[in-house]
Amino acid sequence: MTTIITKTTARIVVPIILVLAISLLLQGHNLPGGGFIGGVLTTVAFGLVYVAYGLDYLDVGVLGREVEPGTGVFEHRTVTAFQRLFVVGLAVVIGSGFGALAFDEPFLSQTFTIVEHVPIYHEIELATALVFDVGVYLVVVGVLLTILSVVGAE
Amino acid sequence: MPPELSIVAGAVALPFAAAGVTPVVYRLVGDRTGYLGAVVALACFGLLGSQLGTRGVVSSSWVPSLDVSLRFYVDGWALLFALLASGIGALIFTYSARYMHEERNLARFYATMLAFMGSILGVALAADLIVVFLFWELTSLCSFVLIGHYTDERASQYAARMAMIVTVGGGLFLLAGLLLLSVAAGTVLDGSTFDLAAMLADADAVQAALREEGLFVPVLLSMGVAAGAKSAQVPLHFWLPNAMVAPTPVSAFLHSATMVKVGVYFVGRLRPLLGSPEWTLLFATVGLLTMTAGAMLAVVATDLKELLAYSTASHLGLMVAGFGFESVYGGEAGAFHLLNHALFKAPLFLVAGIVAHEVGTRRLDGLSGLWRDLPVTAVIAAITGLSMAGIPPFSGFYSKELLFEATYEAAHAAGGLTWLYPALAVFASVFTVLYSLRFLAIFVGDQPDAIASVPRPSASLVVPPGVLALATAVVSVSPQFAVDVIVQQAVDSTAAGTPEVHVGLPDHLSPPVAMSAVAIVGGVATYPAIDRIRAGTEEIVRARALRPCWWYDKLLMGVEETSPRLGDWIHNGLLRTYVTWSFVAASALVLSGYAATGEVMPATGEAAVTAAMALVLVVAVVAAVAVVIAPSHVAGVLSLSILGFMVAIFYILASAPDLALTQLVVETLVLLIFLLVIEQLPAFYADVNRWVIARDVGVSLFVGATAFLTVILSSPAASGDPTAIARYYATEAVPEAGGTNVVNVILVDFRAFDTLGELFVITVAGLSVLVLITMRNRGETK
Repeated sequence: MTTIITKTTARIVVPIILVLAISLLLQGHNLPGGGFIGGVLTTVAFGLVYVAYGLDYLDVGVLGREVEPGTGVFEHRTVTAFQRLFVVGLAVVIGSGFGALAFDEPFLSQTFTIVEHVPIYHEIELATALVFDVGVYLVVVGVLLTILSVVGAE
Repeated sequence: MPPELSIVAGAVALPFAAAGVTPVVYRLVGDRTGYLGAVVALACFGLLGSQLGTRGVVSSSWVPSLDVSLRFYVDGWALLFALLASGIGALIFTYSARYMHEERNLARFYATMLAFMGSILGVALAADLIVVFLFWELTSLCSFVLIGHYTDERASQYAARMAMIVTVGGGLFLLAGLLLLSVAAGTVLDGSTFDLAAMLADADAVQAALREEGLFVPVLLSMGVAAGAKSAQVPLHFWLPNAMVAPTPVSAFLHSATMVKVGVYFVGRLRPLLGSPEWTLLFATVGLLTMTAGAMLAVVATDLKELLAYSTASHLGLMVAGFGFESVYGGEAGAFHLLNHALFKAPLFLVAGIVAHEVGTRRLDGLSGLWRDLPVTAVIAAITGLSMAGIPPFSGFYSKELLFEATYEAAHAAGGLTWLYPALAVFASVFTVLYSLRFLAIFVGDQPDAIASVPRPSASLVVPPGVLALATAVVSVSPQFAVDVIVQQAVDSTAAGTPEVHVGLPDHLSPPVAMSAVAIVGGVATYPAIDRIRAGTEEIVRARALRPCWWYDKLLMGVEETSPRLGDWIHNGLLRTYVTWSFVAASALVLSGYAATGEVMPATGEAAVTAAMALVLVVAVVAAVAVVIAPSHVAGVLSLSILGFMVAIFYILASAPDLALTQLVVETLVLLIFLLVIEQLPAFYADVNRWVIARDVGVSLFVGATAFLTVILSSPAASGDPTAIARYYATEAVPEAGGTNVVNVILVDFRAFDTLGELFVITVAGLSVLVLITMRNRGETK
């Protein structure tokens, strides 16, 4: 799979996919999209990098770190990062739920506010649901990438 | 005077809190943790003692949407039981501190004992059916841990599992009974209610409602099984003697004084609610049979603790039988004997513990003449043992006299076969006298040479049973005093009216007095022939079919033997087998659900299918067929993708952009994963059997048809109005949640809790994949 064609395509396509995924996540409240869709799309982007360049690429090629040769997939720094990601995601989701309790509302209550007179956008809607959605996004990305990398390493 | 919520709730919560800190305390003070338990138990005793004389319900809301609350009902009966548990608890903890000296796993032991005491107080005081069930099961759970204290020993494992299966199995009956009760009560008291206190306040109406709905007998039977399992009634008594592998303090506390009485306690609690001729038939019969069987088995017993265990079952039978009779005397017998039995049986167990601890054996045959070396212990044993036998003027006599009175009254009123009740009671009492004398015989006579010198037990071993023996002596000398302090109040709570309890030594010959005389004289007169009686009784009770233990073993072994055979069918390690079974089972369940509710006719309506949709669907069907007949994996995967993308296009045409987007990205991801693994798949599997193909086709058609039917049935008619909830989501999305994408608003706002659950599912799936792959080289090899 690591042909020149795949690599070149991935190089061009992956940034576009990532931007699209983020925008889907952020606009989810009002337009088609949301945490789940954004998360799966992000996974697709990383999966493409993975297929084209291999698991070490994120470490070596992007972050410029050394990877010890011969580490198993479970000890791999990228994979542990993925695992940490979905734990963080769960924490964000549950934390956002408990946030409501502080205001004497039931668990997981959401609210929103509209900020006006913002330059360029004129008005921005800030919804607490976005925090929840970001948590969803993190869990989906973390779990899918963990599965993808571990299964792929087999 | 109403009780105080903070005090009652505090008394229940305190042991649990103490259980939480026990591991830390143990690390600091070691063996002396037992004294902490004693202090906690004493504190509970004090808190509850301050409520003596109060009566009423206190509650604090717990799950308001289900009408479940932490509701406590305080009355004489609850207080009697709770005070017994905490008072005896304090003594047992003191005893344990010395007895369990240098044992292992003490932090777990004390924590579980404390949690157990909290659960018992919870059962005694709870007045909400859900809370009752919760604490009831907690006592079973703690009992399981404590019976299995010696985790390495097979006997402990066996006994702990047996106790768990029997008592928790009984707990399931309790759950069923309580739910039925709440359903019936809901029709009388307004709405569905779990409020036991309200039911008791309106007992007649609730019973009438139960009968009207035909639920009376099912409720009665479920409660009977639950109480019988917990309180070791025939034929579910067999777990109790096995539970004696637990350390002696556990036997004394759980398996004589408190946990096994939970069933009796609950029978007493429900007596005003369910009292009826059927009630008498069930509980009086079961109780008297248990009383007889327990007493006979106790005579046969060869081990001190085994004797006491069977005797406990026998006395529990006495209490259950007492509550079974509807007459005033029945309730008095049950309530008074609950007190007396706790006061004499717990010290007897502790005495057995002292003997085992100091002499080193519990075998009845090898022991005699212990009074020389253990004089104080012998006095304690004499007082409590004679009380157990029911010899006047010891406390057991008064309560047994009340039972005789109840059986006689019942037989006198009904005549016929009911004369068996007093006959059985007397017969069992003869055996009770026999085994009590057998127990006491270890202290008299000559000391055998095998027991050279017996060390003096330390004070903290002797004082706790001493205190209880003193209490027994007080009740013996002045039974009316005990009645005035608490028993009268307890009887009031378990009876419909307000009967006056009078106890004391008889001053004239009445039928019950004659019955007592026959029992005592019979027991004492036949004692010299006890060896022959033992041999004869052994013949009867050793018969295989009469031993529930044998049936239990058979049942368990049967299950153990059958499951691996089923395993070859259902759990053979092949993914396709699992898929087949789960899909077929799920579909069958769904279809039977439709059949049961009669929802088999789909809603009629015009399906709005446009030409474009039809075209997309046709392509999808063609792709589906192509997947099956694809010659290579690549072709198969690509065909599958075509199918997926067609579905996505269908969503777009049906104006569901979110679904379409999801479908597209998931489809892409699946394709990517296939690309990853495709090179690893074998190109050729094997020639498949025709039958397997036929079966797979059948399963696919079945599952497909079920899914199709479900979609047809569950989707609203295209022409109809949207449902109320759909309208709510559509209209409230913008004002309530500030989002115009209804799908997303439902996911993250209106039904965020569902999404949270799904996230857990995703996480668990991810962890499972990790575990499966990590473990694949460590698993079983076949």
